[in-house]
Amino acid sequence: MANQRPEQTGQPPRISVFWLVAAFALASTIGVIALRTERSSAARMWTFARLHYSMYEPAVEEWNKTGEPKVELSLLGIQAVEQRMLSSFLTRKSGAELMEIERRIASRAFAGPLDGVGFLDLTDRIKAEGLDQKINASSFTPWSTRGRIFGLPHDVHPVMLGYRADMVEAAGIDVSKIETWEDFITVLSPLLYDADGNRRTDRYLLNMWETHMDTIEVLLLQAGGGAVDPDGMPMLDNDANARVMAHIAAWSHGKNRIAADAPYFSASGNRLLLDGFVVASFVPDWMCNVWRNEIPQLGGKVKLMPLPSWERGGRRTSVWGGSMLGISRDAENHDQLWEFAKHLYLSPELSRELYTKGDIISPVKEFWSDPMYDKPDAYFSGQAPGRMYINLAGDVPPRYSSPFSVLAVERLRTVASRLATYAKAQGDATPESLLPEAKRLLIEAQDEVMEHARRNRFITPAEGEGS
Amino acid sequence: MSSAPVATRSHASSRSASLPVAPWLLMAPFLFGVILFTLVPLLSSVHLSTRQTFGPEFSTNVGTGNFQFLASDPLFWTALRNTVIFTLGSVLIQLPLSLLLALALNRPNLRGRTFFRVSLFSPVLVGVVFVGMIFAVIFDKRTGLINRALHATIGWDIDFPWLESYIMPSLVIATTWQYVGFNMVYFLAALQNVSAELGEAAMLDGANAWNRFRHVILPAIMPVGTFVVLLSIIGSFQLFELPYILLNGTGGPQNRGLTLVMYLYQTGFQTGDLGYASAIGWVMALILGACAIGQRIISKRGERA
Repeated sequence: MANQRPEQTGQPPRISVFWLVAAFALASTIGVIALRTERSSAARMWTFARLHYSMYEPAVEEWNKTGEPKVELSLLGIQAVEQRMLSSFLTRKSGAELMEIERRIASRAFAGPLDGVGFLDLTDRIKAEGLDQKINASSFTPWSTRGRIFGLPHDVHPVMLGYRADMVEAAGIDVSKIETWEDFITVLSPLLYDADGNRRTDRYLLNMWETHMDTIEVLLLQAGGGAVDPDGMPMLDNDANARVMAHIAAWSHGKNRIAADAPYFSASGNRLLLDGFVVASFVPDWMCNVWRNEIPQLGGKVKLMPLPSWERGGRRTSVWGGSMLGISRDAENHDQLWEFAKHLYLSPELSRELYTKGDIISPVKEFWSDPMYDKPDAYFSGQAPGRMYINLAGDVPPRYSSPFSVLAVERLRTVASRLATYAKAQGDATPESLLPEAKRLLIEAQDEVMEHARRNRFITPAEGEGS
Repeated sequence: MSSAPVATRSHASSRSASLPVAPWLLMAPFLFGVILFTLVPLLSSVHLSTRQTFGPEFSTNVGTGNFQFLASDPLFWTALRNTVIFTLGSVLIQLPLSLLLALALNRPNLRGRTFFRVSLFSPVLVGVVFVGMIFAVIFDKRTGLINRALHATIGWDIDFPWLESYIMPSLVIATTWQYVGFNMVYFLAALQNVSAELGEAAMLDGANAWNRFRHVILPAIMPVGTFVVLLSIIGSFQLFELPYILLNGTGGPQNRGLTLVMYLYQTGFQTGDLGYASAIGWVMALILGACAIGQRIISKRGERA
């Protein structure tokens, strides 16, 4: 009888249970309120790279001695920065006053109308202070949309080819004869190699694949193509894109295959580089540091050379990656935060740190005469990578951001993949035989992106096409 | 005897005075949560699906425009096709395999039964992110375990592009590894409720193993079976983390790995158009609702039979 429920005994439910639940609810509410940490008055700054964090720490410490507001530097994973940034911009609640972000993330920040961009428009400040002349021009373009600049550039990131000098020199090949991609294939083709005689190539000339969107973009930009034009409108169906796409598919699956997949940033890819599976890879300045740390065994075996151009006298470099420092539009003290941003990014100390710790060349042109860039590097067989990258920095192609960048790049990825499937089916494809199909696929992709662009009611044609 | 009804009436009247307050107060926190976090978002998402948005700040009415655009959006159809392919793969491969394993592990005289049950169930305990990372290495070209092992044994193409051309089969393999043991447990529970006498009677009547399975076991486990199918369909339609990890947050080559939830996420949280994302979500909800109704109809028919 003692275990009988109240309904069975005819007793009303005991109200003491209610008070017990209420007491728990009250206690936990008080607990949560008591646990709330006091929000520091310092401005928050997020960065996504451990290397950047370690480089900025001394500069932030120095600023905090006298400067206002005090800055609290945090290191977050790149996806955490992306999610927090998008959340804060979409809800207009400032997550951090200062955000250092990577290029792909930035294009997401520019997805809406200009009024909806959560970063402070820095255009007038940059122009008034002459920074547009002081900093390498192409370094601004990824952080610009519809004619406005929303970030201070961190880098230039020119691209060269890193190649296995030990193999090339052992074969008696002189890479100085290489000027164009055609020369690259002709000069290095003796290195294509079938180790076990099974009629299957065991060494390829170029680390490049239809799924490597980063390296596809490197080649598209080098040739004058890309995803969006200076006005931010999709420009997928241009001749440069078609030409490059046709070459990539032919290099990967054509009659005279020269490219293979040694995935960048992976242990398996590093293993394949060590094994000499590919002779040359795309190496932006920051990649030198990645190789140095992740594949030290390649030290003294590799060298750098400018990218072969698409035509004689053409551009010998491209661009890969990039970061910017942006100020949240919803932050207070814009002027003070701007002073801090310049203190951090434009100091000669940081430019030295960038190069000595990260192999990254500064975007500030006046620092390029620093002798540290001329120092020979044993890892790259005695070459001076800094000077080589600086010599190419002025020729780095511009790349533009727009609300349609993400979708346009995604469609380019699909074109590369579909063209590769087409090349495989052809069997003996050449760049010339693939060109018509490349053009057709790019027109189709352009139409798809334009469908989305036309649907977007927040970006009027005038805003998208003009400025 | 005569006083009893009076006492009852008296209790009833005191209960009617106290009942409406206390239970509702006790349920209030739960109801508050359901209303605030389920009903309100659900209803506002209907409204949201008729708008084009860029975050909550920029919003404009498009009526049925999102649904009309959806009908002609190739990416949506690609995502739907991939999701359906994955669902079919899961239901037609994973569930029969789970049932087979359950039948095998339900035999009382099997040695090491507990060991096998634990071994098959244990992958469920591994987080999906880890499964994604493990299978990214396993499916790697040239250096991946699968290509290496098959190349060494049967001369398989060492550059076989699992995560480029065969993304959905790869996802089905990975999820089968992870969830086959989980579904097996459902079937095992159902099998243990099948009357042993019925099986023995069928055997005495000369029924072979297949006939016993077809006419005795299958009807008995059918309610659990249809429930597992429904759960599997819902789970498959929710596929997100695994392709997200395996394909670095993209849909993979030619969007072969783009699922409906991934497309919803990309649209809503990366492009910022929560209205279009809501429209995708509602289409998905309608599809799953139709599946649930289908499951109810099949169950009812089973009960009547």
